Amino acid sequence: MIEIRGLRKSYGAVEVLKGANLDVADGEVVTLIGRSGCGKTTLLRCIDLLEEYDEGEIKLDGKLLWYTNATDGSRQRMPEPVIRQMRQRMGIVFQQYNLFPHMTALENVCLGPEFSQNISTRESNELGRELLARVGLADKVSAYPFQLSGGQQQRVAIARALAMRPRVLLLDEITSALDPELVAEVEDVIRSLLSEGIMMVLVTHAIGFAREISNKIAYVSDGRIAEIGSPEDVLDRSQDPTLKEFLRRLR
Amino acid sequence: MHGPSYLDGLAQTAFVALWASLGALLLGITLTLLRLMGGRWAAAFVGGYVQVLRNIPVLLPIYLIYFGLPTLGLFWPAVVCGGMALIMQNAAFISEIFRGSIKAIDRVQFDATRSLGLSPWTTFRRVTLPQLLVYSLPALRNQAVLLLKDTSLLSVITVAEVTMQAKVLTERTASAYHAFLVAAVLYLAIVALSELAFRIAERRVRWR
Amino acid sequence: MTSTLWILAQGAAVTLFLAFVGVIGGTAFALLLNVAAFSKIGLMRISYHTYIYFARGIPLLVQALLIFYTLPAFGILIGPLTAGGLVLTLYIGAMFAEVFRGGVLAIPRTLWDSTRSLGLPPVPVIRKVVIPLVLRYTLPSYINVCVLTIKASSVLSVISVWELTLAAREIVERTLDVFPIMIAASCFYFVMCFSIDRLGRHVEHRLALKGFSGERP
Repeated sequence: MIEIRGLRKSYGAVEVLKGANLDVADGEVVTLIGRSGCGKTTLLRCIDLLEEYDEGEIKLDGKLLWYTNATDGSRQRMPEPVIRQMRQRMGIVFQQYNLFPHMTALENVCLGPEFSQNISTRESNELGRELLARVGLADKVSAYPFQLSGGQQQRVAIARALAMRPRVLLLDEITSALDPELVAEVEDVIRSLLSEGIMMVLVTHAIGFAREISNKIAYVSDGRIAEIGSPEDVLDRSQDPTLKEFLRRLR
Repeated sequence: MHGPSYLDGLAQTAFVALWASLGALLLGITLTLLRLMGGRWAAAFVGGYVQVLRNIPVLLPIYLIYFGLPTLGLFWPAVVCGGMALIMQNAAFISEIFRGSIKAIDRVQFDATRSLGLSPWTTFRRVTLPQLLVYSLPALRNQAVLLLKDTSLLSVITVAEVTMQAKVLTERTASAYHAFLVAAVLYLAIVALSELAFRIAERRVRWR
Repeated sequence: MTSTLWILAQGAAVTLFLAFVGVIGGTAFALLLNVAAFSKIGLMRISYHTYIYFARGIPLLVQALLIFYTLPAFGILIGPLTAGGLVLTLYIGAMFAEVFRGGVLAIPRTLWDSTRSLGLPPVPVIRKVVIPLVLRYTLPSYINVCVLTIKASSVLSVISVWELTLAAREIVERTLDVFPIMIAASCFYFVMCFSIDRLGRHVEHRLALKGFSGERP
């Protein structure tokens, strides 16, 4: 499970995260929603330390990640090799430009296992083919990203993240940049992962999809989790005026 | 004692740089015009001219003109010969800059003016040229600085600009490198100043 | 006439040799410079930018004269050819450095994020991601600088490096046969520069077919 406590982050004078708390239980799917600039993407990126946060704690399965707390109260960034190991426990897929354009789909997927986890080329190749078949792209193994549609690229990106056998999958608006007819194939892949018991944290504007697959939805507002609960609680029964306004605007 | 020589050199460098830049700009515009409106043969000529001058070192046209003109009975001063060579060279690059800009600027605008019934010359003068100049300003600025640095090459044909002065001083005072250090600093200064002047000018133009 | 052409041809060979030294030396030097350019130590980065400022602000001729005249003053005695190679390496190295640096900066942020999220160690990142991408991004500019190297070598004639330009100038001063000689020398340069340019385009074309054309998103 993931425990996030008191996350604070500022960009210069602007404080984007103002003490965010979040829990994700094993196998849970949590979706972050909110207006642009509310901090949901920043929060997501902090989980994988793609953004450095100023204060707060992130724990995975009880172990503190990224920064150690020295006895005198100060905190220290863990050494780079340790951070690299920790990052392998998480997979992240971005909105676009995930894939390395000079590598085939298979090479993209195998890169992590082969060079981060030192799995043999043969084994990582097998793993890669398996995963690409899993996301429905068995026939695109030797294709380059420029030969793939946006939806296919996102699916390869998911396969690449899964190749690391992560504890949690972080998905940052992975369908926002896609043409509408390509969104379904990506959502199907995510649906198929639900049975695997992998934790997922999504940032998305696709409320319908979020309602369908999430165990919990968190409404992020002004750098904090303003409201969190089951999809029905948050989307249908909320009393928060800003949230109601936000949902109304999305219709 | 060193002072006046460097000042003379700076004056000469500035003089050549300014006139050669102007000349190169005018010739570059002419070449662009030729290419746009002169028909197939003119365009081919300009293309060939550009290709040749882009693929030979600057020193060759300089030597060619400086040593060659006297054999034709024309005894023009070294400054003129050097300046002509610099103009010919830089005009080639400037016309290429314009060619790139023309491709980048919206074709639609050109077609629109054509439908208004303006003569090609008027179109060029009123619509194309101003846009071209503004769009190309950064690249032109770059080219001008290159030209400024190339003036140092004129020292080989005895034009008394900064590098030449430094050479003379070296031979005269036997303090080998000291003069060249001063020359280097001077160039850095004028390059920096020109860049600054250009950027100010660019900003002014943008506001219009 | 054939003997003059033969002399010019020999000069061209020296020019090619100098350019070769400049390109190889310059590339190696540029890689070193890029380590400084992207170093975590601020002083290294400042040193890089300062060096680039000097190398690009001072005319090549002045740089050549400086090196040619300062080294003996410090007791280092090297021949014109070596000095010329050194000057070229320093000058062209600065140009390559900026080309490479631009290439690295052109890599989209999400690709950096992807390498980090996969927990890739630095060596595979550089070997399998940075170098291939930078190569593809910078190929046109790299070829440009190669052509520039050939043209820059002609400036070395002023510090008495015997190459094509000096060969041509010597013949002209001897025979006063200006136009044919200079045109012949120009032809040699043209063939060298033009060929490199064409070769570069060919390689670009082949790379485009093999994966992607080096466009950035």
